[in-house]
Amino acid sequence: MSRGTAAARPAVPARIAGVERSLPVWALAALILVLLVALPLGWLGWVSVSSERGPTLAHYAAALSDPRLRSALLNTLVLAFWAGAGAVALGAPLAWLTARTDLPGRRLVRSLVLASFVTPPFLGAFAWVMLAGPNAGLLNRAWRALTGLDAPLVDIFTMPGLIFVVAIYTFPYVYIMIANSLELIPSDVEEAAAILGAGRLRIAVTVTLPLVAPALVSGFILAVLQALALFGSPAILALPAGFHTVTTQIWALFQYPPRVETAAAVSIPLLLATALLLQLQKRLLGRRGYAAVGGRTGQRRAIPLGRWRWPALAGVLAVMACSILLPYGVLAKAAFTRAWAQPLTRDNLTLANWTFTFFQYSATRDAVLNTLELAVATATAGAGLAALLAYIASRRVIVGHQLLAFLALAPVVIPGVVLAVGLFVAYTRPPFVLYGTLWILFVAYLTKEMPVGYSQSEATFRGIHPELEEAGRILGAGRLRVLREITAPLARAGIIATWCFVFIGVIRELSASIILFTPATRVMSVVIFDLKEEGHFGAIAVLGLFMLAMTFAVVVVVQGVLGRDVLGVRG
Amino acid sequence: MPGVTLRELTRRYGGVAAVERLSLEVRPGELMALLGPSGCGKTTTLRLIAGFLRPEAGEILVGDRRLSSPDAVVPPERRRMAMIFQSYALWPHLTVAQNVAYGLRLRRNCPRAERDRRVRDMLRVVRLEGCEHRYPGELSGGQQQRVAVARALVVEPEILLLDEPLSNLDANLREEMRFEIRRLHEAFGITTLYVTHDQAEAMVISDRIAVLHRGRVVQVGTAQDLFLRPCSRFVAQFVGRSNLVEGVADGRDVVARGALRLRVASAALAPGTPVTVSIRPHQITLSADGRAPAGANVLAGVVRRATYLGDAVDYEVAVDGGGVSLRVTAPPPVRLSAGAPVTLAVEPEACVPLTEED
Amino acid sequence: MRQRWLAVLGATVSLLGPLGLPASALDARLEAARKEGKVVWYTSLALPSAEKVARLFEAAYPGIKVEVHRTGSQRILQRVMQELAANIKNVDVIHTSDAGHFVLLKEKKLLAAYTPAGVEKFPPGFKDRDGHWYGLRATVSVIAYNTRAVSAAEAPRTWKDLLDPRWKGKVVTAHPGYSGVIATHVLALVNLHGWEYFRQLAQNRLMLVQSAVDPSGVVASGERPVAANGGDYTFYKTKKRGNPLEIVYPKEGVPLVVSPAAIAAFAPHPSAARLFTDFTFGREVQQVLADSEGLYTGHPDVRYPADKPRLSDLKLLTVDPEELEKRSEEIKKRFVELFGA
Repeated sequence: MSRGTAAARPAVPARIAGVERSLPVWALAALILVLLVALPLGWLGWVSVSSERGPTLAHYAAALSDPRLRSALLNTLVLAFWAGAGAVALGAPLAWLTARTDLPGRRLVRSLVLASFVTPPFLGAFAWVMLAGPNAGLLNRAWRALTGLDAPLVDIFTMPGLIFVVAIYTFPYVYIMIANSLELIPSDVEEAAAILGAGRLRIAVTVTLPLVAPALVSGFILAVLQALALFGSPAILALPAGFHTVTTQIWALFQYPPRVETAAAVSIPLLLATALLLQLQKRLLGRRGYAAVGGRTGQRRAIPLGRWRWPALAGVLAVMACSILLPYGVLAKAAFTRAWAQPLTRDNLTLANWTFTFFQYSATRDAVLNTLELAVATATAGAGLAALLAYIASRRVIVGHQLLAFLALAPVVIPGVVLAVGLFVAYTRPPFVLYGTLWILFVAYLTKEMPVGYSQSEATFRGIHPELEEAGRILGAGRLRVLREITAPLARAGIIATWCFVFIGVIRELSASIILFTPATRVMSVVIFDLKEEGHFGAIAVLGLFMLAMTFAVVVVVQGVLGRDVLGVRG
Repeated sequence: MPGVTLRELTRRYGGVAAVERLSLEVRPGELMALLGPSGCGKTTTLRLIAGFLRPEAGEILVGDRRLSSPDAVVPPERRRMAMIFQSYALWPHLTVAQNVAYGLRLRRNCPRAERDRRVRDMLRVVRLEGCEHRYPGELSGGQQQRVAVARALVVEPEILLLDEPLSNLDANLREEMRFEIRRLHEAFGITTLYVTHDQAEAMVISDRIAVLHRGRVVQVGTAQDLFLRPCSRFVAQFVGRSNLVEGVADGRDVVARGALRLRVASAALAPGTPVTVSIRPHQITLSADGRAPAGANVLAGVVRRATYLGDAVDYEVAVDGGGVSLRVTAPPPVRLSAGAPVTLAVEPEACVPLTEED
Repeated sequence: MRQRWLAVLGATVSLLGPLGLPASALDARLEAARKEGKVVWYTSLALPSAEKVARLFEAAYPGIKVEVHRTGSQRILQRVMQELAANIKNVDVIHTSDAGHFVLLKEKKLLAAYTPAGVEKFPPGFKDRDGHWYGLRATVSVIAYNTRAVSAAEAPRTWKDLLDPRWKGKVVTAHPGYSGVIATHVLALVNLHGWEYFRQLAQNRLMLVQSAVDPSGVVASGERPVAANGGDYTFYKTKKRGNPLEIVYPKEGVPLVVSPAAIAAFAPHPSAARLFTDFTFGREVQQVLADSEGLYTGHPDVRYPADKPRLSDLKLLTVDPEELEKRSEEIKKRFVELFGA
């Protein structure tokens, strides 16, 4: 370490002394990531072809020849495609209206979109059972009372019902993609068309639409990916109607006697499908991505809607009513009444659901504590690890940094249920027996949230000029010291935001938890699901509202830290 | 105060060489400018010297310490250098005083009281007294620049590296800062490498200039050397303006082009070889009455165009018999207009045959 | 909060000294149980009932906590087996409504032989001949309907009445893949009417819920006016709360579901498990199960509410636990084939 000795002779050993001091940190981060992703997927692949008599394709044959598994696969495809289409149909006009027009109440609409973005889909599905169950559903009752007809207006326990509920909670993905893309289109390209005599609609269709087409397709694929991976909504809406999707089917395969090998074999096609879709999205964006929409300095002027202003607002609010207002309302009603299906009379009002949930139901406390513990631990470890990985990749610290970036984003293609199957197989046997502890959930959440954390962190580091770090290096600070004293403080807001994103993701996680929990390690989402199976609407509503309150508290923190809204759309 | 030696440095990006077999010797205490157009490899060279990049071939020595070679690179933090960046790279979360003190905090033998004193002194030197507790975001561009200078100098580095430090300033401020940097260099005498694409800047600031082109050093010398004796077409055109006359050697010190014969500065030409001669526009004198100093090349021609530029007049003259036109810079006012016959006189010393290619 | 106070009070009292309790073997066992501190109970008893039993035990034995993990019978078996496969020993007392589970668990030597005090007086259907499990409670699976949607005259009276096409889209069933009550129910009716009965029933496009508790909620809310099955105690309690609901005990007979309880062979808190088992089979808890939960029990001294039919007045369809165990796969598989999920 003494500076005098180095001056006297050529400093060959300096690499060992200087660079490699930080190397263990990078290597460890990389190793953790590889373990997180590769271990469960490796086991998943292996188990799907393993048998007592060596490698076999029998599990695949069994899975694909079973008509019920085949129909589950088909149902998933139908659900994903139409939910994606629905998400585009809802998200694209909404994005255009809020980003480009003088629609009244744009801020409110954006907040509502944000709310539906963070609402756990299974809570929405659950609320829609109370709203649109064919007989007791409040909407159907109102319909019958109004029309005197006997047939229900809507039956939520059907494929279209399921598609509807999935779409109203996935459209924000499309919305974000398109709204952000629209932000980059200067008004003059539209005005150029107007000068030539094109009407508003014509401009939207011939100029604006082609410009956002990549974002649109990309948003569609994102929504399809979400729909493919969902477990809660199909479990709540499809099972009572007597049909399965792949995710519920995989979950059902874990019932006694468990058929883990078949579950693995069913998981692989789902994994491939998502990987393929993501690849497609990447190529679409790569070819004519946002660069095509480059004019960032151009002015953007709101397009006047004229007499369509109020009808448009009514349409937008109708969508938001479906995803936010009605579901939250019915959850609140269920939370404060004895019988959710009965009118709101004085007799029906009660706090019993709250006292039961928080004081008599012994699982609540443990589940809330487990959830919080996991959320804090995962958010902290996840934000830290994601930051390290994004740092490695954006500063090209070690060889193979591109591979790390790929691995960090790879879990996007792993549906929660599939990840859980892999983790279950990996961590129920030596050397790592984590099943039955919170650790396995921690590992699952960490893996599942890594893409979100990584892309957040990557954006953060992209915003920090590398010269700021080099300035520290050249003045005598080692890489780790620069990371600690310069990079970290500058990345603070971004890292806190990442922390919050992971936190929100964890508290709502159901699809991996449902396979990995044990009675001693239940989390809130699993308890809600348990309560659902027994039909405790009041308690579910209470826990659901509690979960939403936690989520929104965190969202408020993020907005404060980032100074912008979570959707990444500048107001 | 050690010097810096670069030997045969090579560094590629994705197969394309940014720096190729580049050698350069910077003398102790000297301010050397690396001058070249964008993409010439000057910033890469600087980052190789700083240790941010590893060379694929060659080596870098500071004094007798070998700091970089393909198999061992002393990390930047152990090179006892300082660097001033194009973006200034001031840390927005630290105050001016904290920015400047950062390098001193990393020095073990610098107690707090001394550190505070040195920061204070340095801020006075760069005329930023009273700004200690402000944040970089609250300063003007020129002030930020001076903080960056103070931060680099306060650690008393062996080597100071500057990467186009003035390019973000407006013209007036840039002019002022050139002299400021030269003043500081004379006060501290640190061996300095200064990257710029602006020849005027390089001339004002540096002791010597290394002109880089396509990843190599094409010529090293003082501003006057480069100006009066460019070695290549590229240097002749990049450093100042120049008339280039292509011809054939017709003797050891004569270049011919058609009927045109020029005596040139060199006396070592091989007759018959093609030669390009560089003539600076202001080294040509122009007269309407055919008078010329003895010993000068005398050329007759016709004024094609005269452009008044305020402090000078730019003439374009078609020279008889050579099929070339020359640009001539003469003091105002405009005394000859287009179509007027004219006599040009050029000293042989001002006709520099270019020895290198490019 | 109240429970916390009770526990603190109890703990204080017990610290002050045993109030008139004879120093005996009972004390030693209590001490051991206290040291263990808790008992983990995997139970399929409806959630509020399970929590109530747990609170009663905690009030009676301050310092010993009951960890209630309530879920469907089949889920309990899945959990127990999955945990064992991963070498996790968590559960002390297992209680499901699928007697077949206990045949399986006993066969795999996962049950400790333990006879709770006083069960010798229980009727035969409530006892394992090797003393590994005893019936903690019983219920019968019944039909129920919403009185606002269906008049007493139109209401289905027999299992076969449910096959009438006029009930299409109006009936809810719970799931044998989740509920032991329903697995028992399905086997009993298969034995009575054959799988053909369920094949025809499926034509009426039933709504599928999971727990045998859930149909009572579905019918009470009116989401489906008729329940094709479900524990009568859940309907009884729902009706008692003032919901427009009526129970039908079909004439062909009602499946009797005896829900056994047993101590796991690997129980991490064996003393507390025995104490808890004795407590739940004691007259006090058995009477609570009958009174406020509307359950039947094997305890001969238990008195039932006047508005509940006596078991002896009902034609009971019983199933053999061994058969239930053997045909468990078949029941779940056929059911899923017929009903879709």
